[in-house]
Amino acid sequence: MNVPNEHMLYLAAALFAIGVLGFVVRRNVIVVLMSIELMLNAANLTFLAGARAHGGPDVSGPVFALFVIVIAAVEAAVGLALVIALFRLKRTVESDALVEMKG
Amino acid sequence: MAEFLFYALALVALCGAAGVVLAKSPMFSVLSLLASFFALSVIYLLMSFPFMAAVQIVVYAGAILVLFLFVIMLLDLGHMGSKVEFSTAMFRSPAARIGAVVALALALAGLIAVQRGALQQAAGAAAETGPRDGLPQLAEALFGRYGLAFQATGMLLLVTMVAVVALAKRDRRKGPGSQGAQGGER
Repeated sequence: MNVPNEHMLYLAAALFAIGVLGFVVRRNVIVVLMSIELMLNAANLTFLAGARAHGGPDVSGPVFALFVIVIAAVEAAVGLALVIALFRLKRTVESDALVEMKG
Repeated sequence: MAEFLFYALALVALCGAAGVVLAKSPMFSVLSLLASFFALSVIYLLMSFPFMAAVQIVVYAGAILVLFLFVIMLLDLGHMGSKVEFSTAMFRSPAARIGAVVALALALAGLIAVQRGALQQAAGAAAETGPRDGLPQLAEALFGRYGLAFQATGMLLLVTMVAVVALAKRDRRKGPGSQGAQGGER
């Protein structure tokens, strides 16, 4: 495949931007977590594009992408447990409900 | 031909990502994310990272998204912002339009790819260069050079498991404003 690496980085940047957008504008905590997953995926794509551009026998890129996937799984598990705790407390998953810290 | 496949899949991945942000119901968000992950997986395959493509499907689509689905079902959020009964109004939302674009792009990409034998070409090209994430090299790096990080990841997973059980455990001392459910102390 002769797609230039820049185009993969453009795709990763666009995915990351969409993830940031969802993280900022959505109020549903579950969708916010999914936006974080999108951003981590964009990071993965960047790592693999870097490994492809670098070439050679070095597999650091895929190894780091694997670590990112593990971190994403951990983050999703903790985040969703927090969502469940939030739901128990407030009976909602909207982040607008968390106003205790408001001065 | 593989290039065309890449750009079609990039479009699918972007539309799926947009669907995650735009969908009203979290259930549709999960399905859009699934489409995005599948497209990214095939992109990894085209970049000749077959192992990462498999991990993307197995771990992301198979484990993480199922976790999201579990929570959505557990908290009964799937019906939020969506009509259960079928009506043409369902097709007028922006999320539905993006979904239609995704479906159309997928169908077109599949049709053209099959017609021109792109998959065989792509597979041949991957076989020529060989996988960039060969399992022997990957295992050597993971257990040799990055062994410490690997073990730290194992510890992280253990700690996470304990933390998740403590967080999600139902608090016995019920009462409004009880902090026990968050701290996890008994």
